[in-house]
Amino acid sequence: MNKKEVFKLAKGFRGRAKNCIRIARERVEKALQYSYRDRRNKKRDMRSLWIQRINAGTRQHGVNYGNFMHGLMKENVQLNRKVLSELSMHEPYSFKALVDISRNAFPGNKTVIPPKKEGLAILV
Amino acid sequence: MAAALSLCSSLTPNPHRNQTPTPFSHSRINLPFLSHSLSSLTLTSRRQPALSFAPKSTDTAAEVSLSDPEAENPVPIEADDAGPETEPAVETAEPKREEVFAVVMVGSRQYIVFPGRFIYTQRLKGANVNDKITLNKVLLVGTKTSTYIGKPIVPNTTVHAVVEEQTLDKKVIVFKYKKKKNYRRNIGHRQPITRIRITSITGYQDSPAVTLE
Repeated sequence: MNKKEVFKLAKGFRGRAKNCIRIARERVEKALQYSYRDRRNKKRDMRSLWIQRINAGTRQHGVNYGNFMHGLMKENVQLNRKVLSELSMHEPYSFKALVDISRNAFPGNKTVIPPKKEGLAILV
Repeated sequence: MAAALSLCSSLTPNPHRNQTPTPFSHSRINLPFLSHSLSSLTLTSRRQPALSFAPKSTDTAAEVSLSDPEAENPVPIEADDAGPETEPAVETAEPKREEVFAVVMVGSRQYIVFPGRFIYTQRLKGANVNDKITLNKVLLVGTKTSTYIGKPIVPNTTVHAVVEEQTLDKKVIVFKYKKKKNYRRNIGHRQPITRIRITSITGYQDSPAVTLE
């Protein structure tokens, strides 16, 4: 790519990497390599984030993530983790309904304790 | 995290689309029942579904501007952040929209869908602009008072939508480089997508799996 495009992609880089073509070209190539790699990593990271959120949401109702997903699989509910994490954040009643369905399908271990409330959460 | 979803949340202030639906003479395209697949990764497009559309005779159920079945609470106590907001200014401008959402599967990806908002999906081949589309694979429907959970789909539910635009996504530069081997490839890529505007969600009232909150 020519110099103009390189400098356009090098906006915001530190020091001479945004101004001098030799350095900018190296940094821009590295940046594009990183973006290629990270487009694939983003999918893994997002799934991990969704699983963390679902775990947090279900543990508030006394079920952990593994048992929750097992119960949903048994009931043939095919919602994916992205949607489940959104429901756990924004639609608490729908999410509680899902947790109940999962608990009926697969009781799992009984030793999951809801997280201890600290600070202002005790008042709630 | 709203950016992570392909939800483009913008309540339409455009009353024309809702109140003057395109006449029934346009061909109706139904997405066929897609095979069950756990779409865990929503950001890649594996393949585009091969659509075969059969023009359907006119539906008796009206898609747009359904009357509101639920009782409207002026101040929602449950505080559903994702539910559409009914500010007084918007209500006077347009007919009141029912506060319902659905989880629909299109192009092997799942979306949370509200009437009046649009979503970007994979390119639907054979759909022209201003075509009405019915989405049959509805996995969950939620209203203010109850939730209908599908195993795997909620029976007899359809989500009606209108194709707004068939465009290309923003350009992504695919740069492949191997060090010390003099190999570099610079490729640009624009994924074809379709923007569809959801008009209504119908048919879920008689589903067996109902959970009252």
